[in-house]
Amino acid sequence: MADRIEGVKKLFTSKSARVETNRGDAHYEKLFQSCQTRIEELKTQTPSKNRLDIDDLLEDQGVNRRDFMKWASAVTGMLMLPASFTPLVADAALLMNRAPVIWIELSDCAGNTEAMLRSDGPKIDEILLDIISLEFNETIMAASGHQAEAQLEDAMHTFKDKYLLFVEGAVPMGMNGQFGTIGAEGETMHDHLQRVAKHAAAIVAVGSCATFGGVPAASPNPTGAVGVMDVVKGKPLINIPACPANPANMVGVIIHYILTGQVPELDSLLRPKFAFGYRIHDNCERRAHFDAGEFVEEWGDEGAKNNFCLYKVGCKGPMTFNNCSIVRYNEGVNWPVGVGRGCIGCSEPDFWDKYAYERPMADAHIKAPTGGVEKTVDEFGLGLLTAAGIGIGIHAAASIVAGKKEDGGEA
Amino acid sequence: MKAGHKQVKRMTAYMRLNHWVVAFSMVAAIITGLYIGHPYYQTFIADPAVTKYVMAWNRWVHFMVAIIFDVSSIVIAYMYFFSRFEQPYKKILPTGKNIKEFVEVLLNLVTLNRRKKFDSTHTDSFNTIFFLVFHLMLGWMLLTGLQLYVHGLESGLSSIGNWWPWMLHLVTDWTIPVSNWLIGSASSTASIMDVRISHHLTMWWIVAWIVFHIYYQVWRTIFWKEGDIGIVVSGTKFVKEDKA
Repeated sequence: MADRIEGVKKLFTSKSARVETNRGDAHYEKLFQSCQTRIEELKTQTPSKNRLDIDDLLEDQGVNRRDFMKWASAVTGMLMLPASFTPLVADAALLMNRAPVIWIELSDCAGNTEAMLRSDGPKIDEILLDIISLEFNETIMAASGHQAEAQLEDAMHTFKDKYLLFVEGAVPMGMNGQFGTIGAEGETMHDHLQRVAKHAAAIVAVGSCATFGGVPAASPNPTGAVGVMDVVKGKPLINIPACPANPANMVGVIIHYILTGQVPELDSLLRPKFAFGYRIHDNCERRAHFDAGEFVEEWGDEGAKNNFCLYKVGCKGPMTFNNCSIVRYNEGVNWPVGVGRGCIGCSEPDFWDKYAYERPMADAHIKAPTGGVEKTVDEFGLGLLTAAGIGIGIHAAASIVAGKKEDGGEA
Repeated sequence: MKAGHKQVKRMTAYMRLNHWVVAFSMVAAIITGLYIGHPYYQTFIADPAVTKYVMAWNRWVHFMVAIIFDVSSIVIAYMYFFSRFEQPYKKILPTGKNIKEFVEVLLNLVTLNRRKKFDSTHTDSFNTIFFLVFHLMLGWMLLTGLQLYVHGLESGLSSIGNWWPWMLHLVTDWTIPVSNWLIGSASSTASIMDVRISHHLTMWWIVAWIVFHIYYQVWRTIFWKEGDIGIVVSGTKFVKEDKA
């Protein structure tokens, strides 16, 4: 475990989005051996408490073996592994119910859970997220109140130091964390996160709120919301931002973990490079219109009808790193630029204030003037009152001194 | 030449050449940079995209002049210390003489030439500091610009080798947190958008700098009557015999 954490730390400090996609045969042979050993070991374990069978589930949803293998080879490519790893990836997918997952939800809109649950017809990514050994998830579990608490305690005890902790939502830190409490005992979200994070094998922050604070942390950030990485230290942490996070990337991270026992290679914002090493702009179907200088000037104009570039209506593809221009959403159905509304940079820090204003940055008012009306008035008032108080104090003191002298003169 | 005047050399041929290359590059960088920030003219909609390359040409010009700037900046940085004509660093050091000259030139400006107690035959501390501000802003544009540029090289590959994006990350990644601080962001996590905002804002400071620079050189020419505006063309100006 210690050397794993060391390895993770080393990865965390690597800065560029660059991924070495060809590390040579020797590296991949060694990796293949270690992955194979790990998979064989996992096969001998029985999934506890999980009564779902992946083969049955896939069959029920009408996914045949051939489709499954096609999917496995696509995931192999996404994880930047050679094609020879495809059978291992398929095995890892079948073993996903060996990875106990605790999913907690903090300050957010449950959009990541929703994105997973409400796909039109569950495809392989969503099915796999169904069969991970999900030990706890407030949104979809039947239990509530003390029962839910007990279930969480039970899961944390049974899978101590083994479970993957998925966190959805920002951590409100203002007013001593009292902006958000959870459960029958009114635990603050911060304490809740720290308690569950303590014995997690690794933490996966899902969605922009859990990674960078997202919408709750947008200016003026009344609840003092921050991302998980700002408060949880000393644990392997993977950020999967985007609003909502793409289920394909969640599956990619879990499969990578099952396959190698490691977190994938991460960039400086702790995002897996296999997913966030791409700039949206460079794989955008409208890129030719950008280079040509053909822009949608306003919604619904002639340019919009001709699928022109959305840069002038605020598309942030040129400065956003994510793979949605490649893998898209809902198993490749479509993505924001595809439906003609531009990227809002949802996988970047501070996206609500700095990216999502639907006009080019050059035209944007990044935050409210003076940082908010009441806040400015309060601070100005307090400052003025302080200055007046000091003035009165000086005057009063001077008057007392002068008065004494006068008294002295009379006496 | 007017009687009683003497010609003094103020700029070498290289300095003048550099001045005009930088001046025209700056105009080109601002025109194309504003287009990249917000495309302010439209292309003919009837032309198919394949025959137009408007944004791409703007970006091409912007990056080309940026590279000219970058290389020119390296030469200028060298000249600050090793020029065989005048070494500007000598006028920047905060010595008593330099501070006095700086204050005197500033007083000369604010008193509209009523007070002139310094030697105007050679470059002065005030103008040298003013140019230093420009060079620092240009250096910041260089670093933030290259940081924005490397976002497009996220594959880690480039036509001149993998060392180039690697070096750009090594040399310019620190501009992300510094930009975050410069724009006064409240966020705990710096974003690459901060670099873009800072790059854009610094452009306006440079525009303001250019306005003052041109104004001040014309003002000197009119008030000092020494032909300062001609320096950047001929490399020389004229001063009264008794001064030089």
